[in-house]
Amino acid sequence: MKTSINTTNKFSALIILLVTLLTTSCEDKIELLPEDLTVNEVVFSNGALALGAVTGIYNRAQQDDVLNGTLQFSSEWQADNVDFIGTFTTFGEIRDYATLAANTSIFGIWDDNYEVIGAANLVIDNVPLIQDDSFTAEQRTQAIAEARFMRALVYFNIATVFGQPLQIGAGSDNLSVPLVVSSELGQELPRATLGQVYDFVESEFLAIIPDLTDGTRILASPGACRAFLARLYLYQERWDDAANFANDVINDSFYSLATDYTFYDSPDATEHIFTLVNDAVNGQDSGQGFSGLSNPVPGGRGDVPFSQDLLDAYAEEPGDLRFDNLNQTGPGAEGPDRIFTNKFPEDVNNSDDAPVMRVTEMYLTRAEANLRGSTSIGATPLDDINELRNRAGLSDLTSVDLDIILNERRKELAFEGQRRMDLLRNSQSLRRPGQVNEANSAPGADKTIFPIPQAVRDLSPFLDQNPGY
Amino acid sequence: MRVHHYKLLMFMFWMSSIAFAQQKTISGNVTDDTGLPLPGVNVLVKNTDNGTQTDFDGNYSIDAPRGAVLRFSYVGFATRDIVVGDSNNINVQLETSAADLEEVVVVAYGSQVKKKLVTSISTVSGDDLENIISDSPQNILQGQASGVQVFSSSGGLGASPTINIRGSASITSNTRPLFVIDGVTLGDSFTTFNQGTGAGINPLASINPNDIESISVLKSAAAAALYGSRGANGVVLITTKRGNKNGKVTVDIDINTSFASITDTPDLLNAQQYIDFTTLIRTGTGQGLITDAGGEFDALDAVLRTAISQSYNFSVRGGNEKSNYFIGATREDIEGIRIGDNLERTSFRSNIQVKATDWLTATLNANVSHNRFDRVPNENSFASPYTIAILQRPDVEPFDDQGNFTTAGNVGGGNVIAQEALNLNLATTTRIVANGSLDFNLSSLIDGLSFKQDIGIDRTFTENQQRNIELLTPGGFAANSVFQQNRYILNSLLSYNKTFGDSHNLNLLAGYSFEDNQLRNVQTQGTGFLSDAQLNVESASEFPLTSSSGDATRLVSSLGRLIYDYADGRYIIEGSIRRDGSSRFGANNQFGVFWSAAVGWNISDEAFMQNVEWIQGLKLSASYGTTGNDRIGTTNVFPALGLFAGNNYNGSPGLTPSTLSNPDLQWESTTTRDIGLTAAFFNRRLTFNVEYYNNVTDDLILFVPKDPTFNNGLNGRNENIGELENRGVDVTIEAVIFDGANDGFKWTSSLNLGFNENEVTNLPDGTSVDENGNKFVDRTGGSLAFSGQRAIEGFSVNSWYLIPYLGVNPQTGDAEWLGADGNPTTSPNPADRRIVGQANPDVVGGFSNVFTYKNWSLNTLFNFSFGNDILLTSRAFSENPVSGFNKTTRVLNVWQQPGDQAFIPSPNSPTISTFSQNSTAQLEDGSFVRLKNVTLAYTFSDKYLEKTFINKIRLYATATNLLTFKSDGLDGYDPEVSNGSDGFDAAGQDFFTLPQASTYTFGLNVSF
Repeated sequence: MKTSINTTNKFSALIILLVTLLTTSCEDKIELLPEDLTVNEVVFSNGALALGAVTGIYNRAQQDDVLNGTLQFSSEWQADNVDFIGTFTTFGEIRDYATLAANTSIFGIWDDNYEVIGAANLVIDNVPLIQDDSFTAEQRTQAIAEARFMRALVYFNIATVFGQPLQIGAGSDNLSVPLVVSSELGQELPRATLGQVYDFVESEFLAIIPDLTDGTRILASPGACRAFLARLYLYQERWDDAANFANDVINDSFYSLATDYTFYDSPDATEHIFTLVNDAVNGQDSGQGFSGLSNPVPGGRGDVPFSQDLLDAYAEEPGDLRFDNLNQTGPGAEGPDRIFTNKFPEDVNNSDDAPVMRVTEMYLTRAEANLRGSTSIGATPLDDINELRNRAGLSDLTSVDLDIILNERRKELAFEGQRRMDLLRNSQSLRRPGQVNEANSAPGADKTIFPIPQAVRDLSPFLDQNPGY
Repeated sequence: MRVHHYKLLMFMFWMSSIAFAQQKTISGNVTDDTGLPLPGVNVLVKNTDNGTQTDFDGNYSIDAPRGAVLRFSYVGFATRDIVVGDSNNINVQLETSAADLEEVVVVAYGSQVKKKLVTSISTVSGDDLENIISDSPQNILQGQASGVQVFSSSGGLGASPTINIRGSASITSNTRPLFVIDGVTLGDSFTTFNQGTGAGINPLASINPNDIESISVLKSAAAAALYGSRGANGVVLITTKRGNKNGKVTVDIDINTSFASITDTPDLLNAQQYIDFTTLIRTGTGQGLITDAGGEFDALDAVLRTAISQSYNFSVRGGNEKSNYFIGATREDIEGIRIGDNLERTSFRSNIQVKATDWLTATLNANVSHNRFDRVPNENSFASPYTIAILQRPDVEPFDDQGNFTTAGNVGGGNVIAQEALNLNLATTTRIVANGSLDFNLSSLIDGLSFKQDIGIDRTFTENQQRNIELLTPGGFAANSVFQQNRYILNSLLSYNKTFGDSHNLNLLAGYSFEDNQLRNVQTQGTGFLSDAQLNVESASEFPLTSSSGDATRLVSSLGRLIYDYADGRYIIEGSIRRDGSSRFGANNQFGVFWSAAVGWNISDEAFMQNVEWIQGLKLSASYGTTGNDRIGTTNVFPALGLFAGNNYNGSPGLTPSTLSNPDLQWESTTTRDIGLTAAFFNRRLTFNVEYYNNVTDDLILFVPKDPTFNNGLNGRNENIGELENRGVDVTIEAVIFDGANDGFKWTSSLNLGFNENEVTNLPDGTSVDENGNKFVDRTGGSLAFSGQRAIEGFSVNSWYLIPYLGVNPQTGDAEWLGADGNPTTSPNPADRRIVGQANPDVVGGFSNVFTYKNWSLNTLFNFSFGNDILLTSRAFSENPVSGFNKTTRVLNVWQQPGDQAFIPSPNSPTISTFSQNSTAQLEDGSFVRLKNVTLAYTFSDKYLEKTFINKIRLYATATNLLTFKSDGLDGYDPEVSNGSDGFDAAGQDFFTLPQASTYTFGLNVSF
């Protein structure tokens, strides 16, 4: 009996001890928060975090699908400058004018560009509401203006690929992309017309010029607004406006033509009006951007060599430094050696900067606008073209016409995503005679523009599809 | 050793005394426990070949000396040994064997006698384990348990198999069951550094199959309800080997060598065929012609090999009433069938139990394993040897004229042969799973009361070291990733076991459980090295990635169970409940209650059944229960919160939106109705188990895709919506087909079938609607952007939704698809898609046969799957006429002129470019029957071993995947494919999946 009582006491003590131990691990232990991610409500609770959200917009724009090459090269594959010889069937479809609505790469382009728009809308809507006395009105204005800049830039870019240009069909009534300008979730907006998108882009760039600070090439700036407006007016064939805005930028002493072609990965070069700084840590994100696709194997994928037609174009005038200084030969994705551009040579870290807007384009725009408008705002078209040719090591011309200006534009901006629109807005086929699919590349042809991605229409069936998809 | 010699001497002395003993004839009658004569009973003079059988009246007669031992054995009855004495007449009454009924099955937080089991549990143990050569606990289950579907995801080493119990009970969440080893719930939410596809390294690769004593698969919600919010996919309870209590020490040594080679590969074009074909097509399309690189190289042959592997396994077990132990060690050197795939496994286990006092038992189970995995990326990668070997141009060689590696002309700069020879890609994983428990017998306090305190840890440390050399990555590349999982599990269980009166048994369990799971991740990358000899990131000049991250999840739970049975299990009632609180769920729904109720009736115990002689056990059971699935994505630790992620620009810290919030988010909930019937016939020579189940899973967590256009660029969020149903029947039939006397020929056979029908019964309004008006959710394609698979309301969760492909029109040479209007079209669009099949099988199962004759045993296991379709996504590449890749020989049949029955359309047809789009052209019947395992073993007779210290020598030869019967469309491909293994990726999708190996293993098993 005695031992039993003793044992009982021991047991009781043990049980009490254990139960106490256990019940101290109470239920509030499951109240955990992420260690590394930030909860939405906290982001827009003070100025410092909100400015982080502004920086985040540039980060999203660094996605290859936005400003770092996939979108730019995708438009090039439809045109005559570059080949696609890689493995991605989705890119092959674009090259072959066999694009399907289900093309997942095009969904990626749509998705990532709307990510930038969404990130910008959140900043634009929430910054005014932040209760933080140390977050000044001036800082807020600048923050919102940067967000509006990136949003306008992205709308301008995607409007070129998801709908027909002004020069085709219904012109400014052509369907473009939905114009989402608020961060409210679950809106259902139809596709805006191209006219509406262009009006929005124009008014936004104009409106934020006073809000932005000069002196940067790597962030939103008044000069960059003017440069994109010049490009917009050129697309709209508003020749005077285009020439004037290009002229304003050229006359801005902060920008000047580089003396050679070493400026591509130098964000301080005066050539740049807006360049996205990529580095090994933050930059091109998928290996399918500028550096990843355009470098030969093994550093790059070897997917995007010069087309024979572009090689022929350079070969017409030997000694063109835009070719001689900017090409490299190496194995292509299919095996044999091909000639690749050397504009984005950092093939291991993919850290080449994105040339989003550079002053050379302003000279080309001024020249073309003056020629078409029969003006000579700032300079004559011949002087502008000869200045660029001199830099390229070529002799002066004695006269220029539209074909010559477009040819110079082609050679200057190859691999930078401009060629497709330069052809379409001038009502030229994207492919040259003798190239495959020339007929399918005629202005207004269905597959010269991208489909509204099937995955988007599955969720938002009220968005009309482009013809032919 | 000395002891053995002594015993041997005694034994020989005894033997010689027998030899001189006088033979006499013994006769008698054998009856059963009711006194009826038993015909066909084996009567054997023990340790001799002398034996006979009883006749129809149960009579026998046999010659034996005085002192010999007569052994009486009969299926379904307990064997009796009787020493021959003075009498010449020995009558024997055999008792019905309770062995089968008394078999103890491991259940949630305890064990249960099989007869009293009223919930649905399949077990694998004994011979079923011994005869299977397996590299993981999942593979042991393949074909061995009804309703359990195990699909290998790749023939590569360490690939994580897909495992579904009673169908797929989720759309976006992990459908893998919960694994519990000796009471420790294992974590599987940790990263395994996926390279190439969603199928990472098997998280259970560290569990040594040789240490496993038994596996219980808890299939119904009633069986798994005690695992609450983690039980909905079923629970796999693994029990490891224990020591003996009989004072005997057993040493076991098992050594084997195996030879493996690939089961099937597609036929590829040779260099000349490739050049000719590409020229033909490109002439038609107007693409530029290609230049013949001039070489000839069989890349497939170069990346595949006959792999030779070795395995050494050693264990000691022993003990007595006071303490017992099992200590084991394993070392394996395994080669994969593709180059670069090598795995070294080392593991130790120590299971020790000490009965310290009559009221306290202490147990320590510990397992330490170390896997050194020289790995290759999985299939969707330029560094994947098998993928690249299929795509590589056959006219390009990986070496230059001097025999040096070159990258020129290799797909993506791949040169996989150089990569495997020169690059480093090494994953080392150390895992410790251990638990210690104190078991207090509190009977002196209250009779039948006991308390158990158990603390477990599960620590995984994985490091992946990568180094690419200059030739393959200019400047070189190094990466080092470290992942740690630290789990801590606390279980406190109070149980009460008491029999009232003669026949009222009560079993109560109450418990508390706490789990804490810490995840840590460190990753660095470096580029720009001076020399290939510099291995680590330290020596790099640029650092693209420096990251360290972590998170924790916690679970607090209380649980309880009541089991009551009357008259030794004639009637059984069982109920259980668990309340779980989890850090993973939304603020509004952090706690959930799960419960179950079950009843059972052992009909054969009823008086009215006593005269039905041909039925020995007849049990009817029914259960109802609820369980949850808390595993929503493997990387998203806080799926309910709206979050921004740190994403920077030009050195400035930035934040970008990453997820949309949902404060209502909670677990998926599965409700099971289950009815089971178990019966044994003809003295238990035939047993039969059939169970019908109906599992309704609601509050399905779907990553509801949102149009990024209108959701700030975010693609969706997790929501509890939708409902699906899995209905089915599990059948197990086991039979002793032939049972010869005296260790003569014996044949046992076992068939298990799991029929399953899966249907999405409800998707919410606002879900996407397809062209036919059906609501659907797209399944993710794992590493692939495309899946082609949908969960569609009214249809399977794994429905294939594709454009039907008709073939090449013999007249026009155009490829044709079936348009939505029912007419052939050459330019199909998404509106032409429709439901064309499903990836989940109608029935899976296994058929096992064991033949023994004297010392020989032959074990065969077939596993099979019927009614599922497989999408061979890789064909969009390897049969794409306009790509620059190599292709399969199927493409050689090109349309040339009207009337041709061709595979490839005319090179002049516009459809030549769209031919390879995703359609039913890549969809094949995935049904198969596979001879999964054949084991032939010879066990040396006692008479050879009596003179030695050895108790047992067993020689065995095992062949796995010896034969596969599959549809013609799968020629060159494996029927077991899975692009992702976590259950939220599309099922049954191939992307250059490495086919399974067929393996021949020769082994020796010695115990003493």
